[in-house]
Amino acid sequence: MKRNHTGAPVASGTATATLGVLGVVVGLRAVFGAPLRASIGWLVPFAGLRVDVDPLGGAFMALTGAVAAAVGVFAIGYARRERWARFPLVALPIFVLTLLVVPAAGSVTTFLFAWEAMALTSLALVLTEHHRAEVRSAGLFYAVLTQIGFVAILVALATLSSAAGSGTLAGIRAAAGDLSPALRSGVFLLTILGFGSKAGLLPLHAWLPRAHPEAPSPVSALMSAAMVNLGIYGIVRIDVQILGGGPRWWGTTLMVVGAASAVFGVLQASVSADLKRLLAYSTTENMGLIGMAIGASMLLGASGLASVAAIALAAALVHLVAHAAFKALGFLAAGSVLAGTGVRDLDRLGGLARRMPYTTTLFGIAALGATGLPLGAGFVGEWLLLQSLIHTPQGDNTLLSLVMPLSIGALALTTGLGIVAMVKAFGIGFLARPRSEGAESAREASPTMLVGMALAAAGCVVVAVAPVALGPVLTRVATTLPSVGDGHGPKLGAMLRLPGAAGSVSPVVLAAALAVSAALVLLLARWGVRARPAAVVRPLWAGGGPALTPRMQYTATSFAEPLQRVFDDVLRPDTDVAVTHVAESRYLIEKITFRTAQADAVEEHLYWPVVRGVAAAARGVRRAHTGSIHLYLLFGAVGLLVAIVVGR
Amino acid sequence: MSWATRILKAGRIVQDSPAMPASTVSPPTGTRASLQIRHVDAGSCNGCELELSGAFSSVYDAEQFGARLVASPRHADALIVTGVVTHNMRTALIDTVAATPEPRLVIAMGDCACNGGLFRGGYGVAGIVEDFVPVDVELRGCPPTPDEIIETLRGVTGR
Repeated sequence: MKRNHTGAPVASGTATATLGVLGVVVGLRAVFGAPLRASIGWLVPFAGLRVDVDPLGGAFMALTGAVAAAVGVFAIGYARRERWARFPLVALPIFVLTLLVVPAAGSVTTFLFAWEAMALTSLALVLTEHHRAEVRSAGLFYAVLTQIGFVAILVALATLSSAAGSGTLAGIRAAAGDLSPALRSGVFLLTILGFGSKAGLLPLHAWLPRAHPEAPSPVSALMSAAMVNLGIYGIVRIDVQILGGGPRWWGTTLMVVGAASAVFGVLQASVSADLKRLLAYSTTENMGLIGMAIGASMLLGASGLASVAAIALAAALVHLVAHAAFKALGFLAAGSVLAGTGVRDLDRLGGLARRMPYTTTLFGIAALGATGLPLGAGFVGEWLLLQSLIHTPQGDNTLLSLVMPLSIGALALTTGLGIVAMVKAFGIGFLARPRSEGAESAREASPTMLVGMALAAAGCVVVAVAPVALGPVLTRVATTLPSVGDGHGPKLGAMLRLPGAAGSVSPVVLAAALAVSAALVLLLARWGVRARPAAVVRPLWAGGGPALTPRMQYTATSFAEPLQRVFDDVLRPDTDVAVTHVAESRYLIEKITFRTAQADAVEEHLYWPVVRGVAAAARGVRRAHTGSIHLYLLFGAVGLLVAIVVGR
Repeated sequence: MSWATRILKAGRIVQDSPAMPASTVSPPTGTRASLQIRHVDAGSCNGCELELSGAFSSVYDAEQFGARLVASPRHADALIVTGVVTHNMRTALIDTVAATPEPRLVIAMGDCACNGGLFRGGYGVAGIVEDFVPVDVELRGCPPTPDEIIETLRGVTGR
């Protein structure tokens, strides 16, 4: 099945990257120019394909395109090294195309069509290595959860469309004000469930930590940096733009879902020992933060605090861009590690800093971005979110004075644990000494892979140091959204300023100060050692014992062990210690067996009961399947009769 | 009277230290900084360890004379070796001395370290410190008292 094509990876990668660049160009034109509208009647049966790109859709198109451009360049080298078969090479550009059509869709049918096409192509790509059982299991999880989400979205949009009497999103928006509150709330709950499943929000997040590790890395990067964004797009488009924010409990619900996803995701990320699983849970964490920001914006908008609501919404959009940049880079670098070592288990990695210096540097940029520390890509968005939560004038509003401090706590916990997770990923995975033969014989990524990663890294640096570049796009997007569209948004200049709230920070000045002080320390250190004798090389000090072995190093599991102990009730790790004693004496031990597994607590306690229930129901139904054709004919006749009577 | 003037009036209150002993070796750091010492137990009965911890306790306070115990030979200027050298500790002692940056000193502390003492010729004993690493300063006694330890250390630190 696997053949070594020479030209095919180049063609596939180039097509993907070209589609990405086109997406950026079209998206940015829609953001700054007139909305693009087109309708092609023959393309999709019955309803036709209707495209309507406004600044909001354009911004998401441009973001998706930018991710696809970096991934496409990376995929050239990756597909060649991993000897991709023909199918994923063809499916990759098609996946990018569907990703670009979703935010461009102007009607409900086009949107649903593109959404399902996106889900199916991504499923096919997840199943690239379908000969492995884990991949098939991950594919099944992904298929079931994404279809549950799709059903929720289908019901929500069909209800909305029929109640508003229009098939186009613009038409629904015009008529949305007259809909009954019950219907609007029902649509809101269904969209949170449906789009939340795509964005990886609790409780339908479990496909992320399964599908992302098993999919090929460029596909993981596209899914985690571009596809999950579209879940957020759906929430912003339907709930914020079309339904206009709704009552206060909408925002509160979204904040609770977001905060729970963020804390749960980051906890799972900080205890997982698989590099790509860690990144996948980090996606749940960051999407949770974005959901929290959108929820805060909806809640503040409904409470009449438009200027703070605008800050929260800007936080969501900036963090979305930042997350796309650092998560694309993270997954691409993980793919480069996987291609270079064949290992993605952190406990068996290490020592890559010497063997893969460029990949290590680039993953470092991604990890810094994911921590939310200053000069990392994630800083600006998380800082804006924190400011919007802190500077909420609470007055005598009980809901706000309860929700906002709790959210600040959730955000602080998430950021702190995020640092733990990323220190683990970088420190254990890339530094120290190699823990396996695969890591020992690591090879640096090929030039095209490095160029792809460098493109994503450039995105990270821009978001981290010069968020001023995002300012105009944010302003244009805000004009299309009710309740925040009156120019109250934060000013993303060289200095980030928040109108209506005290607080400002300047990433540019921070970066300059850091560069100057680093140079100063380097010079002083040079000057300080000029009189010292030359260095001598001696063997490593091993505490007086024999030489150190790689097995004595800290592993990812041991690094996370204290955390696992503290959050025992949430994580519920499955550990087992079996001690075998010597037959003669219980004081002497022959061997100790230790086994630990980290399952997903939500999955264990929510999914499996449902799965067991469905399986039991299926067993009940199977009793009717006797194999007698007469009985089946009777079932058919009775069914027809019932249909005739009911439908009369 | 404010607290600042009280402090100024009181000045520094310290106990008079005993007379300066003769210098045994030149301080290995070659600077005015204090001497960093790593302690190695090569097979001691722990009598010397008790006295050593007494010497660095708040009662005798060896640190006021510029001697300080550290946690790794990589940080040390000098080693204090106690006890006879047992078979199990022989390689570790040689490695520890090799791991200490030069210029370095080895101080053999206690009769066992200097000449084998009570344990000379025992079945677990490989020899005395001098058999394996060069010794610069000897500190006799079974065990030496904290005062004797401090006197020897002052002879090294020159304070």
